[in-house]
Amino acid sequence: MYLIVEQEDVIRIPPPLLGEDIDQVLEDLAREKIEGNVYSFPREEVKDPAERKYIIVLLLSLEKVGEGVIVPGDGAVYQKVRFKALAFHPELQEVIVGDVVDALKFGAFIRFGPIDGLLHISQIMDDVIDVDVENKRFIGKESKKVLRVKDKVVARIVALSINDANPRQSKVGLTMRQPGLGKFEWIEELAKGEKKEEGGK
Amino acid sequence: MEYTRFEIARIIGARALQISMGAPILIHVPEDLIDPLDIAMYEFKKGAIPITVKRKAQ
Repeated sequence: MYLIVEQEDVIRIPPPLLGEDIDQVLEDLAREKIEGNVYSFPREEVKDPAERKYIIVLLLSLEKVGEGVIVPGDGAVYQKVRFKALAFHPELQEVIVGDVVDALKFGAFIRFGPIDGLLHISQIMDDVIDVDVENKRFIGKESKKVLRVKDKVVARIVALSINDANPRQSKVGLTMRQPGLGKFEWIEELAKGEKKEEGGK
Repeated sequence: MEYTRFEIARIIGARALQISMGAPILIHVPEDLIDPLDIAMYEFKKGAIPITVKRKAQ
C-alpha cells in the first residue's frame, strides 16, 4: 500500500556547501538522505515491529524547522526539517499486482512498487511444476499452465522482512495458491468458466 | 548581544573548524592569513560570522 507520510528528520550540511543557496542545498541533501530509505511508524501506533516499516519513494515537500545547529566536534550545520513524502508500506496479507522479472530454479521474482518479492515454485499454482530455466518459465504438469518472465500476476504477501540498511535486499515472500490469485489470464479463465457453469444450470 | 569569553571561544572554534573543512570565507582577508583559526578570529573581529548563541536560561 502506498501512503503519504509527514514527519521530521535532521539533515547534515557539510561546511563546503555553506556558501551556496541553502534551500537548494538542503533539498538536494534531503533527497539523497531520505528517498529510498526505510523509516518506521512510532512504537505506540503500530505494535508489530515487522509491520512498522515503510520505504520513502519520493519527497513531495520540505520545510525547515527552526535554526540549524552546530554540534561540538563537527563543523557541519545540522538542520531539522519537516517533510511530506510518498511512501511504500507492504503489509502481510496484502494483495499486490506485479510483473515476473526473473525465473530461477527455486522460484520467480515478482516486482511490485520499489521492491521485488520471491514467489517460491511451491506457491505458483496447485499443480506439480516443471521449471524450464533456459527459457525462464514454469509449466504446470497437469494443467499445462505456463508462467513466464514479463507476465502480470496477482499475488499475496505471506512473509515480510524489510532490511533497514538496504531496502532493495528486503525479503518478501509471496503466494499465488489461493482463489483469485495468479496470472491475469488464469483469473480471467476462471471467471469465464464459472459463468458458463451458471448458464448451464 | 555581548558574548562571554567562553562563547567567543566556542564561536571562533566552530568557525575555524568549518573553514578548515572547506567552508567559504565570508569577507576579504589579508593574504598572509593562512591558518583557519587566524581567519576565524579575523572574521569574528569584523563581526562577519553568522553564528549566534542559544542560551538555555534567559
